[in-house]
Amino acid sequence: MANDANKVKTVAEVVQTIPDGAHIALGGFAINRCNIVVSHELIRQQKKDLTLSQGVVGLDTDLLVGAGLVKRCIMGGGSLDRFGPVHCINRARETQPGWSHDYSSLTICLKYLAGALGISFIPTKCLMSSEVLDRLEQFAPDDIRKMKCPFTGEEYLLLKALTPDICFVHVQVADREGNSQISGARWENEEQAKSGKRLVVVTEELVPTEYIQRNPERTIIPGHRVEAIIHQPFGAHPSACFDYYDYDADHLRLYVNHSKKKETFPDYVNKYILGTKDHWEYLDLVGGLKQMNEIRAEKLLGY
Amino acid sequence: MAAVRATEIMVAAASRELRDGEVVVVGIGLPLMACFLAKRTHAPRLISLSEIGVINSDAKDTPVGVADPRNFYRATCRSSFLDIMGLNLHRGIVDVGVLGALEADGFGNINTTLIKDEEGNIRYWNGSAGGNDTASLAKRVILIVRHDKRKLPKTLAHLTSPGFVQGRSREQLSLRGGGPSRLITDKAVIGFDPQTHQATLVSVHPEIELADVVESTGFELKIPGDVKVTALPTPEDLRLLREELDPNDLYLGRRKARS
Repeated sequence: MANDANKVKTVAEVVQTIPDGAHIALGGFAINRCNIVVSHELIRQQKKDLTLSQGVVGLDTDLLVGAGLVKRCIMGGGSLDRFGPVHCINRARETQPGWSHDYSSLTICLKYLAGALGISFIPTKCLMSSEVLDRLEQFAPDDIRKMKCPFTGEEYLLLKALTPDICFVHVQVADREGNSQISGARWENEEQAKSGKRLVVVTEELVPTEYIQRNPERTIIPGHRVEAIIHQPFGAHPSACFDYYDYDADHLRLYVNHSKKKETFPDYVNKYILGTKDHWEYLDLVGGLKQMNEIRAEKLLGY
Repeated sequence: MAAVRATEIMVAAASRELRDGEVVVVGIGLPLMACFLAKRTHAPRLISLSEIGVINSDAKDTPVGVADPRNFYRATCRSSFLDIMGLNLHRGIVDVGVLGALEADGFGNINTTLIKDEEGNIRYWNGSAGGNDTASLAKRVILIVRHDKRKLPKTLAHLTSPGFVQGRSREQLSLRGGGPSRLITDKAVIGFDPQTHQATLVSVHPEIELADVVESTGFELKIPGDVKVTALPTPEDLRLLREELDPNDLYLGRRKARS
């Protein structure tokens, strides 16, 4: 990608380029570094028939499913930790058999790894002799096979590679080229981000390249892989962003109070997403600077 | 001091199953409490792995889940699924997995995906996440599940993670890990017969009647001649659990006055 291209975009600009029916991979995990900015904008622009994939689904995917944008979920499991289950996703799983393709954390990660390596499948010893596998054989028969190793004869499950149309990942720090640094645990962020056809990072802070160069070993995603950078402080709210802010427990409880019933979920979407024009308005609505300061991470703790 | 809670007996019993120096993949909730308790008592060199990408979390505040940054605190390594679940667990170096579940059956298979009510209505929960990976690959697995007929049924509503499916050996099931070694409930500690893999009573918790254990188990439970009484948590176990590991009773439940 040319060095003089301005890669810093607004989320609205990026989401406008995503067609209905696209396969989107989101980088959140339960209540940590969820792609809230992206989910909100996808809902504002009312994208349709999306396929969503994620290792451990979280708030970002639950929002999209609850708002009716998703026709298929490919996932390893998930919840909102002690705040509750992913009610919207679970309702979809209850009412539409086969709607979700359920794997495990590692097998989703391996599917992304295969995509990121440019190979079409990857062997594993997970999922054998389980009903998880039975269901995949029923609902996703083209995505799995069994095979004996040609060298040892051992039986393996083969997982088809995942290659999303566009991947989003929320990071703490990126420069204008997209060199992105993640602090804290990073689950399948790297394999996922590098598996797709397009990659967009959402960053808490936009920093000069010279800052990246101080600790280049922390660069999980190098800039040449990144198509666009969206700069949005508190962009993962109400999920946590290690070293920047804690999850917003009050807002997560409020979310679950709406998400647990199909009838009350539209109230949440109408007020907090469709009722705000962008993430700045959303942040004002959920408590503004005062609330963001409440959840700001303590230096020693990182939360 | 308040009366000993059933959860405290479960956590202490599970922690005693963990040996010093072992590499342990741990799920959130009571499994995490058991692992932290072991590390602060008899197993200071135990290595705890959390699927999200954390090694040796030394949480100062009780995490609400694996994804809670409280679970990242004072870790000795922060990495990824691929590192923890791939390069450690799939590689075959993990000694123990400690898992909770919605249901467990008499061969140590567990369900973390969905529950079915009596009319057959299905309610989904979390799914596998790292559970299937851990149950498939760890050298042995400790399960922590509440004890009632519904949670310990003959047939699971969904077999998310395999133990000894239909009593078959792990080799026959094409699985590498050693399978479940203990099922710890709020009434008893249960093991698995080395030949038949059938659930076999090991010990009954203090003040619990054997008949109550049998009555509240949905699957067939083998009762050997020498059933022991589970040891209570030590005063130091209780102090650690109540003052340091779960002071707000997030996982251990409401405290009861001494009866």
